[in-house]
Amino acid sequence: MENTNPFHYEGELSWCPGCGDFQILKSVEKTLTSLNKKPSEVVLVSGIGQAAKLPHYIHANGFNGLHGRALPPAFGIKAFNRDLTVLVTTGDGDCYGEGGNHLIHAIRRNIDITVIVHNNQVYGLTKGQASPTSEVGMVTKTQPYGVVSLPFNPIAFAIAMDTPFVARSYSKEIDFTAELIRQGVETKGFALIDILQPCVSFNKINTYQWYSQRVYKLDNTYDPTNRVKAFEKSLEWGDKIPIGVIYRSQRQTYDETLDRLGIKPQINPAHNLIQRGSSQGVMCGVNTLPDLSKVKSLLSEF
Amino acid sequence: MSFDISIKIAGQAGQGIQSIAEILLKVLKLNGLHVFAYQDYMSRVRGGHNFMQVRISDSPVYSIKEDCNILVALDTNSVDVHRNEVPKGGAIIYDPHSTMVDSPDNRFIPIPMNNLAKEAGSPVLSNTISAGSILALLDIDKMDAEEFIKKQFAKKGEEVIGKNLKALAKGYAYFLENFRNWKFTDIKAQKKNKTILINGSEAVGFGAIAGGCQFIAAYPMSPSTGVFTYITGKAKEFNIISEQAEDEIAAINMALGASFAGARAMTTTSGGGLSLMAEGLSLAGVMEAPVVVVNAQRPGPATGLATRTGQEDLEYVLHIGHGEFPRFIFAPGHHEEAFFTTIHAFNLSDKYQVPAFILIDQYFADTYATEKEFDLNKVKAISYQPSVVSTPYLRYKITKDGVSPRAYPMQGDFTFIADSHEHTENGHITEDGEVRNKMVEKRFRKLKGMQKEFGKPTYYGDKLVPSGSEKGKAKTVFITWGSNYGVVRETVDCLKKQKRSVAMLHFNRIYPFPRKEAVSLLKGAKEIITVENNYQGQFGNILKAETGIEADRKILKYDGRPFTVEYILKRI
Ligand SMILES: Cc1ncc(C[n+]2csc(CCOP(=O)(O)OP(=O)(O)O)c2C)c(N)n1
Ligand code: SF4
Ligand SMILES: [Mg+2]
Repeated sequence: MENTNPFHYEGELSWCPGCGDFQILKSVEKTLTSLNKKPSEVVLVSGIGQAAKLPHYIHANGFNGLHGRALPPAFGIKAFNRDLTVLVTTGDGDCYGEGGNHLIHAIRRNIDITVIVHNNQVYGLTKGQASPTSEVGMVTKTQPYGVVSLPFNPIAFAIAMDTPFVARSYSKEIDFTAELIRQGVETKGFALIDILQPCVSFNKINTYQWYSQRVYKLDNTYDPTNRVKAFEKSLEWGDKIPIGVIYRSQRQTYDETLDRLGIKPQINPAHNLIQRGSSQGVMCGVNTLPDLSKVKSLLSEF
Repeated sequence: MSFDISIKIAGQAGQGIQSIAEILLKVLKLNGLHVFAYQDYMSRVRGGHNFMQVRISDSPVYSIKEDCNILVALDTNSVDVHRNEVPKGGAIIYDPHSTMVDSPDNRFIPIPMNNLAKEAGSPVLSNTISAGSILALLDIDKMDAEEFIKKQFAKKGEEVIGKNLKALAKGYAYFLENFRNWKFTDIKAQKKNKTILINGSEAVGFGAIAGGCQFIAAYPMSPSTGVFTYITGKAKEFNIISEQAEDEIAAINMALGASFAGARAMTTTSGGGLSLMAEGLSLAGVMEAPVVVVNAQRPGPATGLATRTGQEDLEYVLHIGHGEFPRFIFAPGHHEEAFFTTIHAFNLSDKYQVPAFILIDQYFADTYATEKEFDLNKVKAISYQPSVVSTPYLRYKITKDGVSPRAYPMQGDFTFIADSHEHTENGHITEDGEVRNKMVEKRFRKLKGMQKEFGKPTYYGDKLVPSGSEKGKAKTVFITWGSNYGVVRETVDCLKKQKRSVAMLHFNRIYPFPRKEAVSLLKGAKEIITVENNYQGQFGNILKAETGIEADRKILKYDGRPFTVEYILKRI
């Protein structure tokens, strides 16, 4: 049967058979379809890694940048054109390792984006080295005596940063994940969704079986707006791992800051609709000169 | 040139050198005089030894002098360091109560600045006292200074204005009463001259705004911070998004995101920050994302000399970013050129979808100069857009001139991907060798068009006879780039007065290298001398690689201080 989903990409996918990334792709596609948006109004931003290939597998706009550097361009895109729905698809290495610093500051800015972390607790693309979330003791070719550094706890960190939306999911739970992503997109401000994702090729510890035995869904007796309780929840890891919305709060977004300052990002005067045709048109110049009288008044200050 | 006076205001960081200079420069400018002012400062907020050099003339001036006619010494150390730079007939202004002077001769002019300041209402007014005395010494009416004070302190209220006016009058009167016979020189106001007083950072920042900049992300680093600060100060008025990034890696990647979304985006940095941007610049290369990068150079390696000047990043900028991709590199020579070059950088980066670098340095950034008012009618800010896009939209379509149609998200119902991998015409990852070749060749085909664009070198000096004839051509040609335009130009003027056959060839655009122009302009020169602020003679190396022409001599300076005419003359 033909897939009529406008976001569906027909083409080769280069992940290993059985990889949790296929499930996350399905969830993202599901969410996007439910949003009442056109593919042209959505941008998927990523760095480098298996997770970061996802923008190529969705029919929408994509910015597949550098390893660790998904969040800065996502900021640039959303700050300049807030009408775009911006999702970041990234890995645990990409987001918590190489790009860790950007995560701190993207949350501080509270830019209105949704960050989906495919957390497979390993470096998949580079063939199985430890990642910032690998468990202590995990043996790899670059950690032959086992990982000794403490794993990073993204949920506890995000709560400490007062992130507006913090959730954890498990890739196998496709509908559940899609719903969490939808809530993340609808949240005003930064949303972090850490998704436990089995890497069938390189993570022989945190397997489907391992996760399936441990994860449980938070029910409605849990109140994600209680920060202290949320922090407590974020420390739960081991025999039982909670999934669902772990923390919610509200804070001025970057867009709102710009509004308050009265700064209106100036989408180019050239930002008019471009016609579609059978062949590519020529490039033509469009005037982007700011108000000349204002420029003149700057000159008079010197 | 009927007069050419240099003033040095010296003291510790935090003593108010800049406040004195500010009044002085504004008043001189209002009197139609030409000024050129350079700050020599240490990387500290209090103490140490800093000075500001102000050169004043009735004709345009382009560099600083080693000696000075007037020294304003704000502490004892400043007297010791600089007294030998003041010739007979010059003046050394100092406060006899706070500054110790061994055997003062008749150059010394004691002004009790602190006491007068207290009389005027507060010790902090001593800078205004100094300004008043200097103006009296220069025989310049204090009316313009009064106007300046009223404007400058308008926000601080009547009381502050009143006290400053009183201090100005006291400093002025004290000099006249006690040193009436002290005739310095005939400075004549030239009120009809319409000039602006601008520093290098402002010239680049103003150019960025006039060029339609819509987004700037940067991380503070001397000496680049001035450009970032200037643009940010105007961000509200011009609806520019200005963000202080967490580091330079973020800054360049933010700018590339904004560029993807359609913004005219830029970033500013200096050496160390530029190194952090290297990978992002490579990303701009493969994504074909327009972005303007201002690199204000300081001497390196590593932290180097944070507040000093150098031209050491040229070869780095030529190659920065792994892999191969085309780029523009500009190094403007004076403030007006910097203003227009920045606008061109935005337009050309946009037109060819390549990063454009603007190389300035600490000397250039911090130097104030009067320039004739920029002609805003010449400003053109142009972005390039496809009129029609095909289905599917091919963002990286292989074209004859190498330029593919660049549209932004939401300009139509199409989608596209910008990718850091090598990619197909529609932006998807590819490892196909043939596609790879086509993409590399497409990107480099742009060079042909880029070569024809703005940025021919400037020839100054003995008349040039183009068509191969060597008659009337300069025997000695100085070659320089970036901020050394002014000092080399004045060196040429000076040698011409000695009837030497000399000229200067100044390069603003360094990449694509204006090869044809360089070869034809240098044909027939008997002696070629390069002048650069670095150890390796980097521009000379590029010249040789691009044209085969080798300089006969290299005048190089890498102590972190700018060139002077005297320094160059001593070495030829
Ligand atoms: C600057 C840089 N350093 C290293 C790499 C190599 N590299 C690519 S992906 C990756 C790790 C990916 O791990 P993760 O983000 O967890 O993604 P996964 O493949 O597991 O989904 C590394 C080290 C790179 N591309 N760029
Ligand atoms: S290596 Fe692991 S993460 Fe990467 S595609 Fe294969 S299974 Fe998935
Ligand atoms: Mg991973």
